[in-house]
Parts: sequence; structure tokens; C-alpha cells
Amino acid sequence: MTTLRNIHSTYTDYEQIAQFYDEHKDALFDDIPLSLSQWFDANMAAPLGAVLDLLEGNLNDIVFNHIDSSIKSILQKNGFLSHFGFAQQVDVHGTTIQYQKMKPTDGRYFREYVAAQFLHRHELPNMSDGLRKKMTEAMLELFVNAQIHSETKHIYTCGQFFPARHTIVFSIVDIGIGFAEQFRRRFSKKISAVDAIRWAVEDRHTTKLNIPGGIGLALLREFVSLNNGLLQIVSHDGFYQYDRTGEKVHTLNKPFPGSIVSVLFRTNDRRNYSLLGEDDVSDLF
Amino acid sequence: MTPTTISVFNLVGNSFCVEANDGDSVFAAISKALHQDQAVELSFQNVEMLTSAFLNTAIGQLYGIFSEEKIRALVKVADMDKVDQALLRRVIETAKSYYQDPARLDASVKQIMGEDA
Repeated sequence: MTTLRNIHSTYTDYEQIAQFYDEHKDALFDDIPLSLSQWFDANMAAPLGAVLDLLEGNLNDIVFNHIDSSIKSILQKNGFLSHFGFAQQVDVHGTTIQYQKMKPTDGRYFREYVAAQFLHRHELPNMSDGLRKKMTEAMLELFVNAQIHSETKHIYTCGQFFPARHTIVFSIVDIGIGFAEQFRRRFSKKISAVDAIRWAVEDRHTTKLNIPGGIGLALLREFVSLNNGLLQIVSHDGFYQYDRTGEKVHTLNKPFPGSIVSVLFRTNDRRNYSLLGEDDVSDLF
Repeated sequence: MTPTTISVFNLVGNSFCVEANDGDSVFAAISKALHQDQAVELSFQNVEMLTSAFLNTAIGQLYGIFSEEKIRALVKVADMDKVDQALLRRVIETAKSYYQDPARLDASVKQIMGEDA
């Protein structure tokens, strides 16, 4: 039986989820027992939900043997456990960002989700309009990235707002082809997952053919730097992290069957993002 | 020549202009005007959210078909806030570089592969 213990949004904890998937990926018509103990970052429900979905795709049953009560409570509030036979709980504190499973074609639905969870959310702290817009647009960019590049069947999202820490954490996950495979198909060259991610986050690097692009992840990285936040990307066995202190990369022992992008934003950021714009619209072209 | 106004909000049908596919209708409308040497004013009135993916499709692609001079002469932007203008400038600069210097991407691939650029 697998127990996922003390899951935070760290490289070793992404690895725990990848390891769990790897142990059971060949199971068919089986019961797959799982326990969650000590701690579970709510946004990590997105990568966990993605791998559980894949395992259920092989007609296995996920059996939650034990979930610590504090973890159970948060995963019932954010709707994750509703997908596995548990009742939904009301989030009285308004700190959850709901777990969602969507098709890549559900763009309209994702827009409504983002608007409800971030833009028009009265429980969120008093952020400047500029910061709120930047955060929302970052999430929309991530969804569109997954939609365009991943060839996934579904996109999974989840997050959490931590009022005391003044942070919002959000993860978006696909079960698609991954960064290295996108690179290989576009350039006919094999590359490690870590290098594929490192290449993709650079400005103007795109795997799209005959259309300019490659700004989305670069913009996100710049925003994370300004906001003193955090960006993590996991794709196959590649792990990449970026914050103000720079980049960190690792190779996971077992591959994650898709890609994860997690972002941490600071809600007490007083920078006036509305001023980081252009004054002269006449010479844009 | 009086420019034709193109309402991005109306073409997309939503205040969130985010998906690449939604940019296609805007791209088609601008292209149609430019092929006729007709000036256009692209209005972003009531547009709340934009992504680079949308703008790449809607505007970035123009640089693969029309000259920079023609686009500059015939396309104007209106009703767009400063932050969105900064994003659009980034998209336009990226598009110019993409079409003018296709070898740049190949060089970046060689670099990450550890090959001689």
C-alpha cells in the first residue's frame, strides 16, 4: 500500500506522486490502496488527480485506506474527494481554489472558473487591480499553453490561498506528451526533459510551427521575479524551479506522466503593476 | 481614409480574449482590410483579459504576410490599457524577430543541444 506523506510543493513530493503512479501504471482491474498522511498541499490535488485518473482509466479502483482528518477536510472543501466518493464540504473560510478537471476545449469554462476563483472573489485580500489582473492572466496563459501544446485529454487545476502567508498557490496539470516530446517533434532532436523545460522558458522559444510565440512562460517568469513568487515546472522526469534566487533543476527518479506547472504568488505585493505599461500607443507597430 | 473600426470584444464574443483560436477571427478581419489597403482601428473596448497566445494569432501572424510598413500605416489600436499595450508590444517585437530571423530559433536549439551554433 502506498502512503503519500507530508506532501508539499517540492521536488521530492512531486517525485512521491510520480513514484506512486509508476508502481501502479501497469495495474488492470485492480484495487489500488492509497493513504494520505501528515500534510498535503491542496494544489497538489491537481497532479494527484491526474495520475489517479490515468489509473482509473485502466479500470482500477482507487481505495483510500486512510486520510488524516485535516487533509480530508481540505480535500473535501476543494472538491477533490468528490471525485472519489466523498461528500463535498463547505469552505467557510474561503481559502480553497477548487479542484477542476476540464477538457482542453473547455476554454470558456476555464475563463469562468478563473473569474470566479480570482477576479471576483471577495475573500481574497485587497490586492491592487493590476496585481489581480496579472495573476489571472498568468493562469489563463498556462491553460492556453496546455491547450495548444500538450495534446492532453484533460487539464487538472487546483490551488490554495494562505491568508497568513499572503500567498496563493496554483497548479495546472496535463497528461499530455510533455516538453521533451514537443521539442523532439518540432526539431527532430532528442533532448532531456530538464533541458526541454530550460529551453521553453526562454523568451521567444516556441515549438509552434509557422506562428510566432514563446512569450507566455517567459512573461510568467518575469512576473514571478517581480512578485517575489515561485514557478515550478515538472515534465516527465524533468523538474525546474525559478524564483528570485535563480533556477534549480533536478531529474526525477520516476517520470510524471505529463506536465505540471505550479506558481506561487505573493498577494501582499504593493508594486503598482498598472504603471508597468506603455504610454505611447501610436508606435506599437 | 477613414479607418474601419474592428471591435475585438464583438468578434470574440467575450471580454476574455485568451485562446489562440479566438485570435483567428480578428486576424482574418484585419487581413481582409489590409489586402484591400483599408485602414483599420482595432478597438479593445470592454476587453478585460488578454494573453500572448491570443495576440500572437490575432496580430503577430500579420507580420508573416504583410510588410511592417504596411501594418504600421494601416493598423491602429484604440481603447487598450497601458499594461495590455506593453504585452502587445512584446508580441509584435517577437513576431518581427520570428519572421525576419528564422535562424535565431535554430541557433537556440543548437545551443541547448550543446552543438556549435
